[in-house]
Amino acid sequence: MSHHLSRRHLLQLATASAAGLGLAACGSGGSGGTASGADGDSGKITVWSWTSAAEALRGVVPSFERANPGITVEIQDVGEPAIWDKITVGLASGGKGLADVLHIGVDYLPGYLDKFPEGIADLSRLGADKYKDAFADGLWPTVIGKDRAVHALPWEVNPLGLFYRHDFFEKADVDPASLTSWDDLIAAGPKIRAATGAQLIGLDKPGTTQDMDFFQNLMQLQGAFYFDHEGKVTLASPEAVKALTVIKRLNDGGLLADTAGQGTWKRLISQGKLATASEAAWAVGYMAEKFPAQSGKWRVMQPPAAVPGGGRSAIVNSTYLTVSATSKRRKAAWRFIEHALTKPAEINRMYTSGSVFPALKAAYADPMFQAPHPFYGGQRVLKSLVDSLSSGSEATNFTSDYSRALKLASDAQSQVLLKGADPAGALQAAAAQLAQQTGRQQAA
Amino acid sequence: MSVTPFERAPDNPPTAAGTTTGTGTAPVPAKTAGSTGTADQPAGSSLGHRRHHRPGRRRLTRSSVPYLLIMPAVLGFATFKAYPIAASFWISLTTGNGNDRRFTGLANYKRLLDDPLFWTALKNTALILVVQVPLMLGLALLVALALNSAKVWLRPLWRLGVFVPSLTGLVAAGVMFSVILNRDAGLMNWALSLVGIDRVNWLGSPFWARVGVVLVLTWHYTGYNAVMYLAGLQGVPKELYEAAMVDGAGPIRRFFSITLPQLRPILLLTVVLSTIGTLQLFDEPYVLTGGGPDNATLTVTMYLYDNGFKYFDFGYASALAYALALIVSVLGIVQVRLMGERR
Repeated sequence: MSHHLSRRHLLQLATASAAGLGLAACGSGGSGGTASGADGDSGKITVWSWTSAAEALRGVVPSFERANPGITVEIQDVGEPAIWDKITVGLASGGKGLADVLHIGVDYLPGYLDKFPEGIADLSRLGADKYKDAFADGLWPTVIGKDRAVHALPWEVNPLGLFYRHDFFEKADVDPASLTSWDDLIAAGPKIRAATGAQLIGLDKPGTTQDMDFFQNLMQLQGAFYFDHEGKVTLASPEAVKALTVIKRLNDGGLLADTAGQGTWKRLISQGKLATASEAAWAVGYMAEKFPAQSGKWRVMQPPAAVPGGGRSAIVNSTYLTVSATSKRRKAAWRFIEHALTKPAEINRMYTSGSVFPALKAAYADPMFQAPHPFYGGQRVLKSLVDSLSSGSEATNFTSDYSRALKLASDAQSQVLLKGADPAGALQAAAAQLAQQTGRQQAA
Repeated sequence: MSVTPFERAPDNPPTAAGTTTGTGTAPVPAKTAGSTGTADQPAGSSLGHRRHHRPGRRRLTRSSVPYLLIMPAVLGFATFKAYPIAASFWISLTTGNGNDRRFTGLANYKRLLDDPLFWTALKNTALILVVQVPLMLGLALLVALALNSAKVWLRPLWRLGVFVPSLTGLVAAGVMFSVILNRDAGLMNWALSLVGIDRVNWLGSPFWARVGVVLVLTWHYTGYNAVMYLAGLQGVPKELYEAAMVDGAGPIRRFFSITLPQLRPILLLTVVLSTIGTLQLFDEPYVLTGGGPDNATLTVTMYLYDNGFKYFDFGYASALAYALALIVSVLGIVQVRLMGERR
């Protein structure tokens, strides 16, 4: 063995290092030159969205193009979650290659506004402020950037409901009206299981997908979240611990099914192995479409409180349309957003075709929000969801570090469900790590 | 992944997005390979080649042609690799957003050392490396020996069969295995139940999730390595075996005294390539387990991706990339020194 490397070795080594560094190149970003946009008012605009929402938007295009000759619209279904990568990469490279209109979820919008303050167009300049009171309560603060300007219009809002198998409850002789908190459900769960064989609810226990909506809902029902309104970390707050404790008790009682894996949740629902689903408004149409065989068996109730006597309404999430700052046709793009999201006829057309529950308050006057729904045994499902919106849900502060919080909370939940960890301990460790990684303070 | 509606996440196969290699347009380097010469004379000059010098052919001499030929590759490398690599190093020393970056020196690297998730990811990657690479290469060698045997019928067919998995897209393989390994409805557990073995929680327990990832990797890459070994085996001179047989060496002795030493360069190549590949493991766990359960299959590259493309923390992601590049280089040196030809 020689002590100096031969030329061949150096070559081999160079290859190895280059391969490693090739990866290093992947970490790059955020240093692109800034492209500049313009306020063009005609020509072709492109819109990025995904699946059923993209389909719903296509339904708006004909009426828009008739009302705005000179503007044509192309809707692109980019797919979700691929759309986040595309938008992130576009924003990181100074806005190159982005569509004119971007459909963004509340879980990403604050991050984009915070990390790429130049990336999303200022809509106040184009007259967005006049819609301040047009949308469901609690949404407007989420569209305001650090510059106090409006950067998006809310499209969709998702109030929480508890979908339940009416036939199972009857069989087990459980009165849904008596279930006011998750404590009541945990008590009734064994009866339901004994009578029907169904577990109460499903979660992806190992966290192969970050299945954290339920945990978040239990926090939101208590008016809490990962962060408080000042952006301090509250992942280990008493409310968060209570939320995770509810999940642990469901699991310990054998009431929590594991939905990890492709299509498992759907399969368990269609096999009648789950008695409830804690879902948001969008699921009203989704359930009816996916499980037609179970028509008439489902009902929706107000979500049970996380703690006895606690709040019973929460907005799970919301999505928005925005204009990219580098669009050459910002005015045309804004016109399209305004047309799609502020006209009750258009937004309800989108609800009918894509189950996108409108955030626009004026939309709820449509008779369909009062109509009995055959899939839910004639229950006026939409009305109860609209009512829950008006009972005042607090705005949730997702902050720009939501993704990191989601990841750490998901790890904590998996530790509790797979290894029997103590909820308080797991959340304290997660909160400490979240604070360390984000440089945020923990709330006292 | 995201909490956006329309489709419940479990019903959506996640779309693995590739990583980007830097952004912006790279300045074309002023000095290209064609313009570098040796220390004492400029390239392209024909001074050193007086014997071949013909008047009128000054610009295209025999020594400058190779440089011209490699120029496209060098330009491509400089633009799409060298520039992003350098930019990424700069970014790893900064913090901030978009064009608003502040120089923070080694802060990102310090943060790395205190980050338990980085160590978890490194540990997982090392574990997969130590278990999976020897397993796969051993298996590949056995397959290659079998395919090399004259006694095997329909050799081309077997060879094709062994090689085909490596042609499958990584994401497709991940999705396919996530269906196969599904606890309640997967093919694997159904097959196990036929022989009376209890259902295995493939993706739900930390241990089995790692086994699952190792399984996918082995399925995907064994054939590729076997084909490399097969090429090596076919290059071993027959005379060596004949001479050994005359000397009375048995098959085992022949394998250890002739086959393995003759395969050494190929073995080194596959070990180094597999090591680099495993250290950069991303697609399979990303699709199969999402890094779970409880980070049991989180790899360094996945963590890098999360930091860059989910948390928009490009400085930290770049630091992670450089830490990984350093580890790859060190391991590369060690392997080359341990296994390289003795001189």
